Parts: sequence; C-alpha cells; structure tokens
Amino acid sequence: MKVVAPFLFSPEVQERVAKIVAQYERKQAAIIPLLNLAQEQFGYVTPEAEKFVADYLEVPIVHVREVVSFYTLLRTEPPGKCRIAVCTTTACRLRGADKALQYAEQKLGIKPGETTADGQFTLESVECLGACEFGPVAQVNDTYMGYLSGETLERIIHNGGPDREDWCAEAPLVETPTGEPLISKFFHMEESHKLETYLHHRGFEAVKKTVGKMPPEEVIDLVKKSNLRGLGGAGFSVGMKWSFVPKDTPKPKYLVVNADEGEPGTFKDKYILVKAPNLLIEGMILASYAVGIHKAFIYIRKEYQFPYERLQEAVDEAYAKGYLGKNILGTGFDLDIVIHRGAGAYICGEESALLESLEGKKGLPRLRPPFPAIAGLFGCPTVINNVETLSYLPFILDRGYEWFASLGSPKNGGMKLYCVSGRVENPGVYELPMGTSLRDIIFQHAGGVAEGRQLKAVIPGGISANILKADEIDVKMDFDSLKAAGTMLGSSGVMVIDDSVCMVKLLSYATKFFAHESCGQCSPCREGTGWIHKIVERILAGKGKPADLNNLLDISSFMSGNTICAFGDAAAMPVTSYIKKFRAEFEYHIQHKKCDIENADAND
Amino acid sequence: MPTLTINGKEITVEKGATVIQAAEKLGFDVPRYCYHPGLSIAGNCRMCLVEIEKFPKLQIACHTQAQDGMVVKTESDVVKKTREHILEFLLVNHPLDCPVCDQAGECFLQDYYMKHGLYDSRLDEDKVKKTKAESIGPTVMLDSERCILCSRCVRFTDEITKTSELGIFNRGNHSEIGIYPGRELNNKYSGNVVDICPVGALTDKDFRFKCRVWYLKTSPSVCTGCSMGCNIDIHYQVERKHIADGDRVMRLKPRENDEVNKWWICDEGRYNYPFIDKNRIHKPGRRVQGTVLSGQHDLEPAPWGEALDLAARKLKEIPKDAWAVMASPQMTNEELYLAKKLFGETLGLTLSLVSPSREGYSDDFLMKADKNPNTRGAFELGYSVLKGQLEDIVRKAEAGKIKGLYVFGQDLFEFFKPETAEKIFGNCEAMIFQGANWNPTAARASVVLPSAVFAEQDGTFTNFQRRVQRLFKAFEPMDEARPGWEILAALSERAGKKLAYKETREIFDEIAAKVPVFQGLTYTKIGKKGAVLS
Repeated sequence: MKVVAPFLFSPEVQERVAKIVAQYERKQAAIIPLLNLAQEQFGYVTPEAEKFVADYLEVPIVHVREVVSFYTLLRTEPPGKCRIAVCTTTACRLRGADKALQYAEQKLGIKPGETTADGQFTLESVECLGACEFGPVAQVNDTYMGYLSGETLERIIHNGGPDREDWCAEAPLVETPTGEPLISKFFHMEESHKLETYLHHRGFEAVKKTVGKMPPEEVIDLVKKSNLRGLGGAGFSVGMKWSFVPKDTPKPKYLVVNADEGEPGTFKDKYILVKAPNLLIEGMILASYAVGIHKAFIYIRKEYQFPYERLQEAVDEAYAKGYLGKNILGTGFDLDIVIHRGAGAYICGEESALLESLEGKKGLPRLRPPFPAIAGLFGCPTVINNVETLSYLPFILDRGYEWFASLGSPKNGGMKLYCVSGRVENPGVYELPMGTSLRDIIFQHAGGVAEGRQLKAVIPGGISANILKADEIDVKMDFDSLKAAGTMLGSSGVMVIDDSVCMVKLLSYATKFFAHESCGQCSPCREGTGWIHKIVERILAGKGKPADLNNLLDISSFMSGNTICAFGDAAAMPVTSYIKKFRAEFEYHIQHKKCDIENADAND
Repeated sequence: MPTLTINGKEITVEKGATVIQAAEKLGFDVPRYCYHPGLSIAGNCRMCLVEIEKFPKLQIACHTQAQDGMVVKTESDVVKKTREHILEFLLVNHPLDCPVCDQAGECFLQDYYMKHGLYDSRLDEDKVKKTKAESIGPTVMLDSERCILCSRCVRFTDEITKTSELGIFNRGNHSEIGIYPGRELNNKYSGNVVDICPVGALTDKDFRFKCRVWYLKTSPSVCTGCSMGCNIDIHYQVERKHIADGDRVMRLKPRENDEVNKWWICDEGRYNYPFIDKNRIHKPGRRVQGTVLSGQHDLEPAPWGEALDLAARKLKEIPKDAWAVMASPQMTNEELYLAKKLFGETLGLTLSLVSPSREGYSDDFLMKADKNPNTRGAFELGYSVLKGQLEDIVRKAEAGKIKGLYVFGQDLFEFFKPETAEKIFGNCEAMIFQGANWNPTAARASVVLPSAVFAEQDGTFTNFQRRVQRLFKAFEPMDEARPGWEILAALSERAGKKLAYKETREIFDEIAAKVPVFQGLTYTKIGKKGAVLS
C-alpha cells in the first residue's frame, strides 16, 4: 500500500507507516500503531492525522475518533513539554503518592489534567504503572521515576524532565530466596537480555529438544501434566487451554502474548521483558509449535517504554541470528513475532478486550461463546498466554514436566514470581515455589511490615482479590488454596497493609480505579462502578448514611455475575470483602463522620 | 431443531434460534433494550438475563442459542430481582426529563419500570452531566444524558445504512453517543434511529414537542411515496384541534413487514404526510360563469350535486376522441378499476396513465425511482405503463385536438413551461380536476372534485413486487372531500350506469373475479401483511 501523505509525514515516516500496516493481516489492526506514530510526530493526534488513518486504513472516521477518545494515552490536544503522570492506585498510595501529587500541584500551580500556562508541564493522575516496588511512581515523559518525593520532583521540575535513567532498567531490589531461581536467575545477570548470555545458560535447549523432534500433541500433553497454570490471573490449565484449539482448521492460528500487565500490584512481567526477553521468545516458539501457530503478537502496554525497547532489541537480535522467522535453527518451523503497543487501558488486559484492541478497536470485551480458541484474533483460533506463563515453558521442556510439577503444590506446578508491594520492608519480585505460604512471603522473604508496624490486612492477588485479614495469612499461595480460602492468587500482586491504613480510604483507591477503567459497555459495571465510588467518597467526606453499607453490598452483588466480562466481578470484590471484614471501620466513618485510625494513611 | 422448555412450556425452534426468540414465539416477552431483530447482537444492556438450568450464572437470552433439553425460566425470583437492579443501574445517571421528553408514553425505561421495577430510588449522588438537546442532523436531536448506551443507533448506521455516522466516545460512565465533529447524521434513512432508540436520547425534530403520544391513535396503511410500498402506521389524533394547528396526522412510523421493508422506512416516506392535512381542497368548485379556463383563479364553491352534474354534462357534450383522461398511479386498485369501467366502458374514452411526478432517487434498499405506490397495480388492471403518455396528450392538445381534460391530481405546470400549459388550457373547453390537494392546474379547472387521501379511505395498492397491500381508513375525509371511487360511481350513475358498490371490499371482490392475476385474493387474505398476485 503506497502511502501518500506528503503534507503530513516525511518520506521516512511514510515508509514506517507502510511497514507497520504490512505486519497485520487486517489493515484496521494498524489503527493504534498509526495513531501512536502520529502522536509521536505531532505531540497529539491531530484531525489531519485522524483523517489520514481513516482514509488510509479505510475505516469510518468516527470509529477512529472512538479509539482516540477511549484510550488514556491518546490525546487530542498538545501536552506540555514535560508530562508528569503520577500513579494514584493502591500500592503507590500506600507509599505516599498523595503527598507527591500534592507537592507537584503546589509547585506547578496546576491540578491533575492541566498544563502550566507557559506550556512547560502537564500534570496527570494515572492508574497503576506496574512499578509498585519502587513506589510512589511517576512516568515523566516516557521514563519511569521511582521513590517520588518532594526532592525528586524538585529535581525533575528543575530539569524539565527525568534526571536519571529509567527505573525499569534497575534490577529488582532483593535477592531471590528459597529454591533454585529459574526466571529470576536472569534478573541479576549482566547483559541478561542478550542472546549470547541466554545461550550461555541453556537458552534454546528446549527448542532444540522439542521443535521438529517431539509431536506437537505430546508437547501439549506434557505441559498439561506439568500443572502449569495461567499466570496472568485466571489460573486455567495451560495445556488444557491449548487443547481447545481445533486441530484441523483451514484458518491461520495465532498466539497472542498478554504483556499488558495492568493489574494493580503486579510488576513481574516487566522484569521478564527487560531482563529475560529470550525466555519469552523461546516460550513463544514452544507454545506455537505445540498448537501449530506461525504468527504471534505481543501486546505490550504503552506505558512500558524501556521494557518495549529491550523487547524489540531482543526480537530483532533473534531474527538476525536465525532464532525467529523462517526455519528456526534448522528445525523447519517458522514463527513471526510482531510487537504491538497499546494505548493506555486496563481493560485491554482482559483477553477478549485485548483482541479487540489489537484489531484496531476500543477495548470492549466480547460476548462468549465463541471463545478465542475457536474464534479469536481476526476470527481465527487464537491462544492467549501471559508473559510469565510462556517464560516457564523452556524450563518445562528442557528439564521435564515431572520435575516442574514437583516444585509446586498439587495441581499448581512450578515456581511463581510473587510481586510484593505496599507497607512492606522490601518490596520486589520474589520467585518462590508455587504454594509458598503468604506469611513466609511477607515475613520471611520480604522483610515484614515496614517501619516496625503491625500487619492489618493483605490483598493477595491484585486489586480484584478479596482481602485477607492479618490472621488469615497462613494460606498457601497457589490458585486452588486461595480459592478455597475465599480469595484468589490472580496476578500474584501482594499488597501489604499495616495498622496505619484506613480501610475506607483503601477501598476508595480501588473504587476510583474501577470507575476510571470500566470500559462502559454493559450497564451493571458502567453505572455500578461510578455509583459505588461516589458513595465511598461521600462516606470518606463525612457524609455517609446508615443505608450506605448495605446499599454498597447490594449494588456489588448485582454487578457480580451479570456482566459481559470478569471486570464486573472484580470491581465487586474489594467492596464486599473490605466491608465484610472491616465493617466496624466503615460504620465508624458513617456514624462519627470521621476516621478512627490515627494518622489515617501516613500520607496525610 | 432443538426443543426447549420455557416457563414450563415446550417449544421446538430452528437451529440457531436464540432463547429470546424462542420465548417470543411462546408469547413470553423478555424485556430488552439493546437487542433488535434487525441488528447484530450487542448483549450490553443485560436486561434480558434469564435463568437456565445447569448454568451457574444468569444468561442473556438474546445471545444464548436454544439447545435441546434446555430449561429456561424468565420469571423466577432471581430473574425478577436482577431485572430490578439492571433497571436501577440504567436509571442511576438518567435525567428526570419525563415532563419535557418526547419519548414519554413510549419509553422502555418508563414501561419496564412499571412492569419490572416499582422500587423506591436509593440514589443519593449527583448524576453525570452530558450534552443535551444537540442537533446532530436535519432530522434528529440527541440528548446524551438520556442515552442508555444500548448502541442500537451505532449498529444501525454501521450495518443497515453503512454510512457510519455514529459512534460511542470515551469510557465508563462518561461514554457518550456522538458524531465526528463537522459531520452530520444525514443519510436517507436517518429517521429510523429515532424508532429504534428505546429512550428519548434520539428524537425526531419533526415530532419535537408536537403531541403527547398517549393522545395518538394508530391505523395501519401503506406509504404512497414510491413503488416499494413500505408498510406504515399512521399516528393521528382528531379530538384536540389546538394541537399542531388542528392537523390530524402527527407522524408516520414504519410497520414491520418481513417481506417488504422489515422494520425500516426512508426519510422521504416518513415525512411524506403534511399533504394529508395541508393545502387540501375542501369543497367542490366550479368556474365562475363567464370566465374561461386560462385566466384567473375564478372558482366558486358548489354543492356536490351541481358539480357532478356539470362534470357529467361536459363528459357527454365534448366528443369522445377529444377527451384525454389522465389516470394516476397514485390511485388505488379500486379507483383505477372503476375509472376503466366509467371512462373506458361506459363513456368509450381512452385512458392514459400519467404519474404526477418525475422519477427520483433510488437505491438498492428501500427507495424506488418510481415515486408512485400503484404503477404495478395499474399495469395489472390493464393500463399501459409506457412512458410518454403525457407527451402524446400534450402534442394532441397543442394541435388543438383535445377539448376536454380529466385530471386525477397531476399538475401540468410540473412538466411543462407555463406557455405550453396555458396553450393546452386555452384550447380546452372543459377541464375536470379530481384530487385532494390544490395545485396550479386545479386552479385552472372548470370543475374541481375534492377527493380523499389514502389515509381517509380503504383500498389497495400493488407494489413493485406484485404484492397487494391494504389501506385502512384512519379518519373521515376532510370537510367535503369524498373517496375517489365514490366520485366515479356518482359520475357513472349520471352517465346511465348505476354501480351498486357499498364499500371498496365489493369492488375488490369483483376485481378478483374478473382479473385472472387477482384470483383467489380477498381483503381478509391480504390482511395487514399483503399478498402476492399469482
């Protein structure tokens, strides 16, 4: 497709446009990449750019505008020269994000969403950036800045931008404790992202043993027996999910890697992308071989700039050296990988919304059936797997499924990258055997509660997980045990809460998140999340009413189970579990119109 | 063909049918907003959630395919409670606009609240504010606050007209229907989005604040805009003369007919009703003694008897071959049949078929170039539908060979320069105008006979697909106007041939007996959906 837009793009950019579009089986899928490109060129999506995208990809312009308006990171107005986006979701709020944001507001004289009069700074309040371990976090232009404080903000503002390299390049802050480090072995290695380093540590041995040697059905069977579960959050048996893809189909099959990592409290995939991208690449080859796939897309959240650059570097190197593309390592197996960046929407971590977004539309989850294994990307059979899930495959195929299964607990095989954040001494990523006790994770490995305080509660698996009280942490951190305990492992985002935290305030972080991220498609979630957040804010402001608590529980219960996707269920869980387990605090707020926790949230 | 049980009743349906369709067949009305049989499934309103045995969660009936052995409950306690809550969700940010909203009385929120809600509101928060009363095109107003984001309108412009004007912007409860800035909702079927909008978000500018819908009566009929013959309902009211300047017809709505127009109608047809009440000929008239056809508008009212006598006399006086009778494809089958009887058989005159309008816009959806409802009907009754019949008449008239013109509503000034028309009238001794609305030609007539419009009479049209469809009289003819067939019957009596019909049904029965292709058809068989000629 010849690109002719001389008034819009230079010849070099026009070439990039053509290359981008050529990567997709359907033109419309290039909408978001081209809008991102336009924004990169002009600072924002101009009407001319919208028109170009609509004409070039033959999409009605109103649908282009829909996409621009849906995603947080696409804007229709020029931003300031320096964009400071402060994370205000749960884990960062527990580490002082409020103070940091307040400081920025005062210093710049603007509110979130505004730009300074001289056009220098735009301040934004955003949701979880996936870097809770060095929270509070801000993304300054494309760079992640950790440990935000008055000081660091002073330097950033003085500098007109980031004043050091991206925090994503840092190694995780702690050692890996129990058992043999598998993925995390690469987290502390020099040049761990380079192919040479990877090959030096049994890289691609699994591919050599499996691809072209083992029948694909056997690979699927093996992975089933390894008890590898989906590590993005759903915990479904990976081998079983693969087996749902029809064996005989005239349609092409796709592998889609979910690198959206938007679940608050979760930041493990980021390290894999930065420190061990070849594990992912090898895992993708193994998965594709097992299912008969020759084209894969990695959907990576747009905020992950540095991880994306590392990943692209690794993919390019793999292609150059014969580890991707045609006839990989002489096995006769072909696989192409396209990296597809998102545009800022938590819901695009939901697998069907991810597919919609990849196809160039708003991230609106699909009605099921049909399921992606039958009709996924472009209507074709599709496997969607999380980054971490795929990254364990090389270990399974290299060293055996029995060994892998034995590392974990029954039916929950292998190791797990647990993300620990919040009021804990040593936030970070901990690779431990599946089923390690939560108490051990917090107290034995992560240094216990910070500043010598008392543990009050733990959110075990991302913001949507039912909360556990301090006396409920003797539980095995695997999918089945946590389900039996009335909560979930989810994304393994463990957020630690101490006795200085007000539970009503904590709930408001969650309700704000869900109200902001609801896609808006179906009525219970669209209206329910907004309504719930308003009620919780009203209680926090001292205007609560006695009927509020039962209303909150009732509203949540009818959001749950009645929506198109699990977001509705997820949004209900914090409401029901925090109120059920800490009802007294909520009642106090309503009765006395103030908080009974002294220094409620050390940020105030 | 799966057999399933709904609320204890069994039904067998086609493979692929959904639970909501199966329920409908059994007469169970599962409430819904986003589901529409003519559009793709969206499944976003969640109002049609029902209980299905062996499913742990409620399922949306619009998307769930009927399976053999399925057991469905649409009225269980949990379903009812869920409906209440879904309604509550939809009303959380809905503005209290009922007193000023056109949709009141035909609003899915109101109707379902009365049927499935009836709870006390517990909302204590401010509602989300959005754009109100925004014109998004020549025919439609948008009120975003009222919108429940069912997406029917977006699917309509994507799937039916394929013009894609509408979209839903933003996320969460700030989602808003809109158009791309600088554009308009202006395709030729734009009015349909108002029909399908379950609430008052999209309203018709033409109907805005005109009349409360509970004052409206309805009568089924057929659009007269072209040969498609889309089925319509005429919404009218006759008691309240202070409403809409005393007009009777308030609006036309498409009536569902799977064989013709499905659920839709084009804008041309939808808004083609003012002629029913405006610019009507109220009383018969005759040219004032001493004035001639060409010249001023010198008509005076005359009683029916006198006007008919005068017309009949002219018909007898002027020689047969000096007459031109311009029947119109706007006339019903019954009228056309009587016209042939009177002018053809009884009087021995030649009948032509002349359209009152030129061919117009057509597409491959509902709009036909022939802007007449009964060209096909005329053809099947033996009229020639060849083009150029009017030109033939005019040629003869210019050569002085036409002394008498019988016009059925056409306006010659539409087709010819004033000089030509004047010349024609100049050579005529008599011009009899039978029609419903005034036009420049009527003003030149020697006798004006006011006829009823389609909404004021029974009768049939035959559409381009040879489907015969019925008109159902909604209200009495305006003032002294009479149904065309009655006028022709009266003239026939004066010409010596008394016709004994008491109603159009009898005329149709005779047509069915005499004209082979109509054989076997009766008004009853035609019903409200029509029947195809053999």
